[in-house]
Amino acid sequence: MSPWISCTLDKDKPDMPFNIEDYKDIEPLPITTGLPDELCEIMYTDNYKQIMGIARALVQKKEYSARALQLTSEVIGMAPAFYTIWNYRYDIVKWQMETHSNVPELLNNELSWLDEITLNNPKNYQIWSYRQSILKIHPSPSFKLELPILQMMIDDDTKNYHVWSYRKWCLLLFQDFSNELSYTDTLIQRDVYNNSAWAHRMFVLKSTAPSGNDINDEINYVKEKIELVPQNISVWTYLRGLYEYFRKDVYDEEIIKFAETFTNNVFDLKTLENLPPVESSYAIEFLSFVYSKNEATQYKSITGYKALSEKYDPVRVGLWDHKIKRIQQGNRAI
Amino acid sequence: MSNLGRNAKFISSNILGRKRAVVENIIDEREDDDYIEPIMKELETETTTDREQTLHDCMELFNSKDKKDATLNRDFLKMYLNLAFSSKLPPQLTPLDASQPWMLYWISNSLKALNPEWLTDDFKRSLAQKLFKLVESDNSCGGPFGGGVGQLPHMAGSFAAINSLVVCDNIDGCWDKVDRKAIYKWLMELKQPDGGFKTCLEVGETDTRGVYCALEVASLLNLMTVELTEGVVEYLVKCQTYEGGFGGCSHEDEAHGGYTFCAVASLAILDKLDEINMEKLMEWCSMRQYNEERGLCGRSNKLVDGCYSYWVGATAAILEAAGYGNCINKKYLREYILYCCQSEKEPGLRDKPGKHPDFYHTMYNLYGLAITESKFYTPSGNFAENVTSTPVDASLLPSAPSGICPMNPVYGLPTKDAKAFFNHFR
Repeated sequence: MSPWISCTLDKDKPDMPFNIEDYKDIEPLPITTGLPDELCEIMYTDNYKQIMGIARALVQKKEYSARALQLTSEVIGMAPAFYTIWNYRYDIVKWQMETHSNVPELLNNELSWLDEITLNNPKNYQIWSYRQSILKIHPSPSFKLELPILQMMIDDDTKNYHVWSYRKWCLLLFQDFSNELSYTDTLIQRDVYNNSAWAHRMFVLKSTAPSGNDINDEINYVKEKIELVPQNISVWTYLRGLYEYFRKDVYDEEIIKFAETFTNNVFDLKTLENLPPVESSYAIEFLSFVYSKNEATQYKSITGYKALSEKYDPVRVGLWDHKIKRIQQGNRAI
Repeated sequence: MSNLGRNAKFISSNILGRKRAVVENIIDEREDDDYIEPIMKELETETTTDREQTLHDCMELFNSKDKKDATLNRDFLKMYLNLAFSSKLPPQLTPLDASQPWMLYWISNSLKALNPEWLTDDFKRSLAQKLFKLVESDNSCGGPFGGGVGQLPHMAGSFAAINSLVVCDNIDGCWDKVDRKAIYKWLMELKQPDGGFKTCLEVGETDTRGVYCALEVASLLNLMTVELTEGVVEYLVKCQTYEGGFGGCSHEDEAHGGYTFCAVASLAILDKLDEINMEKLMEWCSMRQYNEERGLCGRSNKLVDGCYSYWVGATAAILEAAGYGNCINKKYLREYILYCCQSEKEPGLRDKPGKHPDFYHTMYNLYGLAITESKFYTPSGNFAENVTSTPVDASLLPSAPSGICPMNPVYGLPTKDAKAFFNHFR
């Protein structure tokens, strides 16, 4: 290795062990207000105060250096929500890029470092916006490099909001949706109630202009999942979403018949006394909505909403009353 | 555990969606020789196991006392909040180091809402001093605000700082120390081409949370301009998803209670609630409430959590004030908060049974509780600024009212305080 390369590497060696001695020329700045009776003053440990104090001093000096980068790792390890340090680290990385001979490698190393931090802080916001910022300045970002960490994070918490949102951002950046339906399918097989996975499918469909046949396949997929577990809000909401966006909100006989198999003829009842058990209150809600769209079937819709109030989903009585009132006033449900 | 489904008298145990109850039903019915197909098919997954635990804990609490006795323990709360303002906080709260204005907001606002006199002048003075001290060393000394000493300005920090100052009644003229010009300039820098707002200048999220913080602060400080609000409605409309609620970003994120509140409150500030699919939003809000736990969750098939008493509850309250009708069950929500979110052992309010109380859940549960004991309306004038609540007739409540002052759900502040602040900057 030629000396000048090693010199460049020296300043962005991320695995250089943290040593407080490297900062002994820095006078730590205070991290509390110094007010005599400061409200909600946190009793920081001495170690925290010292490291944060040094960090503040470096930020103020705008020092961009290997030791500054090292210090940001230390701070982020202690306080991952400390957004100021994420911004500082970003500035340091941009400074490194100016002189680094291999920018993609530099940024890939940065992403690997970030992976480690991510695994320890699943609920953090800053990690993902930092990751976006790095990808935006990356000359050759790779979807393949993003997938493992996304996979691990979802495996660990299948409904992690930040991870799902970041995944969508990535897909839009790389315009590669090819594996997404099968990916969400594995998650739905694992937990059919996973609303994040269902919402992701809708995102994929809306982003990819599916054909009429694709939508038919999707509707069949949904039916299969409803048969597996009829009382699942995620899948009924998704079904309605499919019809709304891809079927102009027009509900065919087939889907109505299908939904009716879970409602034990509730819609044909003359009286609401002794309501029978049903397999799915969401099927009643779905059908009540569908029936409300057509004047000839609105009476069924009212029966459905009343049955929901009475027995199947009484906590939502306010909404059901609202729906009935709308029908009676001659407004359609949508 | 298997009795729980039956004890929940308002719901057919068949719909409860729990395996063991169903197995028992089958056996019961087999006794009548003619076996009927089981009515509830269900799979045990991570979702159902998580919920089963919560359901069990809630049911136990619902069965533990008489309805008349379920009241808010105000004195216990006062003790908790006073202690937080009178002593230093333990090192375990270090993760909140970048959220210091939030702690001030949660605590001061809770005290003020419970009883205006509980937020003493001494507290107000110390609060304002701290907030301005946080930004003193920077170029501007009256905002925008960050999370702590030497921290960069942040949307969330500025929101919490301004809201904290609102409840301080302009003590020592603190309202006039706010640097409106600097805040406006900074908000404009955070504005994004797609109509959203970023939370921080370089590395920061752009989501409905950013939008709400920006508009909330701008409208309180009378900084709303055409330039600031350009494209915002379009951005927010795109955040409504097929589920009816709103996601964080405009790319079909999953609908979420917190982001939905931010979007709806922002639209209320812009007076553009009629731009969205209101029926679907109402359905979505109402879907957040469980028959069994009685409280609200933040997303479909997720667990109930006391903080959504505000995020979803306030969304519903805004719709109610705008004349769309009420889409949550206040009676049930009140029961969830009073039975499940307070405990005799620890002061403060919590997410759910089994969790420890914290400042965040204390404030949002309190505001949620206020929602359940109030009706919402807008007397006249600009919608968002004038939304307020009036207590429901106490005889309609099963137990003594909690005595929380009228509030503005759009701003998360007592009506009176928000009004005084608005008027100050007009």
